[in-house]
Amino acid sequence: MGPPRDPLSRNARAFLARSQNPDGGWGYRFGSPSVTEPTSVVLIALSPDLEAAPAVERARRWLQSAQRPDGGWGLDPTDPESHWMTAWGILGLARLDPHASEVARGVRWLIELLIIRIEAAELTAEVRRTLRIDPRLRGWPWRPGEASWVEPTALALLALHAASAVETHRDRITEAVGYLADRRCVGGGWNFGNPFMLGANLPPRPHPTAWALLALRILSPQAIRPEDVTALRAEMDRDGGAMALALGQLALTAIGIEDPEARERLQRQQAPDGSWESSPYVTALSALALNGGWPWAPRG
Amino acid sequence: MGAPRLTRRAFLRLLLLAGIGGGLAFAERRTQPAGLRQFLTWLLRGWRRRVEPPATVALGTSLSHDEALLRDALMALWDQAGMPNVAGKRVLVKPNLIEWIEGRPLVTAPEVVGAILDVLRARGAAEIVVGEGPGFRRDAGPVVEQSGLAAVLARRGIPFIDLNYDDPQPVPARDGWFPRQPRLWLPRHVVEADLIVSAAKLKTHHWAGVTLSLKNLFGVAPGIRYGWPKNMLHVNGLTPSILGLRQSLPPVVSVVDGVVGMEGDGPLFGTPVPHGVLLVGADPLAVDVIGAQLMGFEPEEIEYLSWGVWAGVGQGVRIEVQGAPLEALRRRYQRPPK
Repeated sequence: MGPPRDPLSRNARAFLARSQNPDGGWGYRFGSPSVTEPTSVVLIALSPDLEAAPAVERARRWLQSAQRPDGGWGLDPTDPESHWMTAWGILGLARLDPHASEVARGVRWLIELLIIRIEAAELTAEVRRTLRIDPRLRGWPWRPGEASWVEPTALALLALHAASAVETHRDRITEAVGYLADRRCVGGGWNFGNPFMLGANLPPRPHPTAWALLALRILSPQAIRPEDVTALRAEMDRDGGAMALALGQLALTAIGIEDPEARERLQRQQAPDGSWESSPYVTALSALALNGGWPWAPRG
Repeated sequence: MGAPRLTRRAFLRLLLLAGIGGGLAFAERRTQPAGLRQFLTWLLRGWRRRVEPPATVALGTSLSHDEALLRDALMALWDQAGMPNVAGKRVLVKPNLIEWIEGRPLVTAPEVVGAILDVLRARGAAEIVVGEGPGFRRDAGPVVEQSGLAAVLARRGIPFIDLNYDDPQPVPARDGWFPRQPRLWLPRHVVEADLIVSAAKLKTHHWAGVTLSLKNLFGVAPGIRYGWPKNMLHVNGLTPSILGLRQSLPPVVSVVDGVVGMEGDGPLFGTPVPHGVLLVGADPLAVDVIGAQLMGFEPEEIEYLSWGVWAGVGQGVRIEVQGAPLEALRRRYQRPPK
């Protein structure tokens, strides 16, 4: 694929090229230290652009150097713990080669990760009553040994898909899809974890809803309900930030829904320097959202 | 030569040593995961607080959100409370911006934050930033915008830092409250601050009982390291995390916005209480004790306060209230659901 033709996209890519750190990675803000998540998002956004090939190669090397001996990823090479960033490490490298050995080691880390699951009957009943969730279902946590949450679960599912590891781990993926379905808010969409707490329904939020919809679109499209999409669009409108609009747009495009108003709203937020919010992370998400969408999503 | 005989005296000595050793081993076990040494440190410090000078908390009233009135009120309270000298210092103001839900008094009023900034400027702070890492928002920007804080900051040219993304760096977890984590990852602007002003909201909280200037510090845990809503702090235990964050941060002072408080199902879904109070103090534990009393709680009812007083995390026993009379301003806030 050649370089993008439209000026908006060219400016965004120029900003991303400018904001790459000398070590090959990207930070969340211009000039801030490299972190796994923004590095992978930018790599994914730039990878189709042949002119960006040297920058992408430097990013690939940074991601390889940031992988920990246990196969997972932390924030950066100095982080002594692998955690939810592992999904991003896999996504970044799998974009270039889903069969790379680093990708396989990352997948193994995700699959072998210790996750809290409540199975005792009396505890399960109590949790069902107070939180209205099925605590036997495992998704993925932010950090090892903790409970599962919506966003890391969706990201892990997307990473397993990008690594072509769906068939090998079908049971685990089915359980995680069940987890997402179980955590759906009343009226559609997702909050960060529980949909209900101490007598109150929790409202959906745009970021976890967008990630959950994207993961379900790819792995279990029949699990998506119309009210999830309605909730996402309402939350994108209410939030109005570039991150929510870009993520929402990625999910909507994958589902085959056009939202010209949200798209235009996102375009309007691009700064003269080509960035969104001077952030390589938000800029890369926006560039992806406005130019083709999530690269692993089936079209339409 | 025959085998040495165990005298009665030696036997009793051995018995005594075994008793002491067994007692220590038992105490060590009972005080896990902190351990006996840490437990004794807390206990002795808590006792010492009882003979130390009292902490001062300045209590003021304001039913108005008028920025000029709030600035004048806070300026006076700042002096009454004997707040530290901020001249030439780097100061991080940390409001409560947990989330934004229209019609709910969730966040520290932007006008109160603006008044704090004016006081800090007037007192010569060299560098001032406002920062927060919302627990229920992946992006703080819309909360800052929708709550009205963005306009307040723009008028003063003060930057906002989303602490969830602020280049986290490891620092030692101090005072034994995070026994399984020798280090905490904290945002750059937090680590580099000379002083943190915890600009909290007067609210009830369904897990902690109340949320004031110490619980407000949860927002400094960076989401990119600990996730949303900072689950690690709950896994470690709410009370140890509240007290442990306080001990691991640079010096913290407190301002509590109770112009409109929140009762019932806080921190998100409670109902407004027009209370008209402001609290200022250099000792966050003392400020929170008075804040809880203003809401009609006794400190013993709130676990993090009673543990904090016991362990001497601040001065929670001897508190001198300056300014408005505490008893006249006490209310009985509706309790959060269990």
